[in-house]
Amino acid sequence: MNPKRLLWLMAAISTLPVCVAFAASGTQVAPLAQEVAQKGWIVYAARSAKNRTWDLFVMRPDGTHRRNITNTPDREEGGPRFSPDGKRLLYRNFPKGTVIHHDLWGFQGKLVIAAANGTNPTEIGGDREYPWASWSPDGKQIACLTKKGIQIVDLGTKKIVKQLPRKGIYQQLFWSPDGKWFCGVANARIMWTVVRMNAATGVLNIVHEFQSCTPDWLPDSKHIIYPSRPAGQKGSGFTQLWMSDGTGKEPRMIYGEDGSHIYGGALSPDSRYVLFTRCAKDGGGSERSGAPICLMRMADAPAIGGPSPALRKVHPNARNASVLPLVDGWEPHWTYAEIGVQE
Amino acid sequence: MKLDFSKYCIRRGRNVTTVLWIALLLSVSCARQVDTGEGPDVSSRGSFEVTARLDEIRGDLIDDPMYDYAHVMKYTVLQVHRGQVDQETLYVGHYNPAKPRSRAADARVQEIGGNVKQFRVGAVHRMALEVPIDDHYMGGIINKYFGKIEDPVYWAVWTNEVTE
Repeated sequence: MNPKRLLWLMAAISTLPVCVAFAASGTQVAPLAQEVAQKGWIVYAARSAKNRTWDLFVMRPDGTHRRNITNTPDREEGGPRFSPDGKRLLYRNFPKGTVIHHDLWGFQGKLVIAAANGTNPTEIGGDREYPWASWSPDGKQIACLTKKGIQIVDLGTKKIVKQLPRKGIYQQLFWSPDGKWFCGVANARIMWTVVRMNAATGVLNIVHEFQSCTPDWLPDSKHIIYPSRPAGQKGSGFTQLWMSDGTGKEPRMIYGEDGSHIYGGALSPDSRYVLFTRCAKDGGGSERSGAPICLMRMADAPAIGGPSPALRKVHPNARNASVLPLVDGWEPHWTYAEIGVQE
Repeated sequence: MKLDFSKYCIRRGRNVTTVLWIALLLSVSCARQVDTGEGPDVSSRGSFEVTARLDEIRGDLIDDPMYDYAHVMKYTVLQVHRGQVDQETLYVGHYNPAKPRSRAADARVQEIGGNVKQFRVGAVHRMALEVPIDDHYMGGIINKYFGKIEDPVYWAVWTNEVTE
């Protein structure tokens, strides 16, 4: 055979698995989009096309019915979380032009609580106050992470009703849906360790060590989802989405992709679906314009995207999941409640 | 060629004088380079002020633009200037130690500084400190002494070089 032809043939064959994977993904995402279309709303931060500042948006989980719910050309907003009943929204707002730091955003700007559709925004405190605020199960209190400790603040009176030593937790504190636990990122034996703390006793246990961060709770309050960058990868490696139970047992990858850092993990309220962002650059994209928000069925985990030959060697049983790409954004959160947005 | 001995002696005498002058200037100049590290910031910030010798840096100093850390280093105290420091050995966390102290502060940590350009074992530093580190800093800490020491870890607020 003509060597040139042979070269072309080999090149064509080498791209075949990628083409098949993407074609399969393409054919499977339409049913996935249909499946989730009416399952509540996703809130996320993204740069407004009009004024280029960070605003908050909502959309149906299939990516339709997008609405800018803050629309503030002179402010930036980020880090939205629906209250457990889906009626309110907690987020931070920052002066225009603030670079939202992927590790510091919970300390930056002011805490705002609004109706779930973005109306009636109320600033709670001043700049850098109530850092890393997260909802209590009944939505009447927030847990904050300060140098002094973990502070439980009553939203009605703004008084600190309880304080616990933070025991090395330094960012990304989240209160479990049942109110019994906190998770966060800590200096334990080593830094970048995901930990769980008993909210009553303050006793802390390690969930996952080594280059793990941004943890969040599964709705059962028993499992934690977190991005992690395992050792042994080429160069600095890539961050994958993982989960464990609260004691750190049964760690398992949910989604990974060589060439992309996976952050922003968030579960649907029934734990059947998972949201994440996939970003070529480390950090999740908050310093720039976010990263594609993607949606996947948890039943498809563990899954690997793209060719990812190195990752497939480590996880030979991982699937080629249907991954529904939605929109560029950052830190998505999901409620099944109807939030009063006009369709 | 005829050698003019008297001129040779005069020239040689001048050279000796020049050498003596240079030696004198050098000694004066060296004396002026003694620097105790004292300064308005190191003497007013933090709750403690010590002069200490950097004995050990465990692990590599990471310089990653995406992430910021404090790195715990081991010192021997040479002199206590302010506050009560009873230990001879101090464990001190320096923020972003791969950067010169004048450029170490950022959005996370704003009130730190000094004139140390690079951390080298054997160097002597005059430091303004706080303790424990967790009361003054909330971020990643590389602490290779974790689980091996009982001592509290200090937080370096201001770090000046001491030269003698």
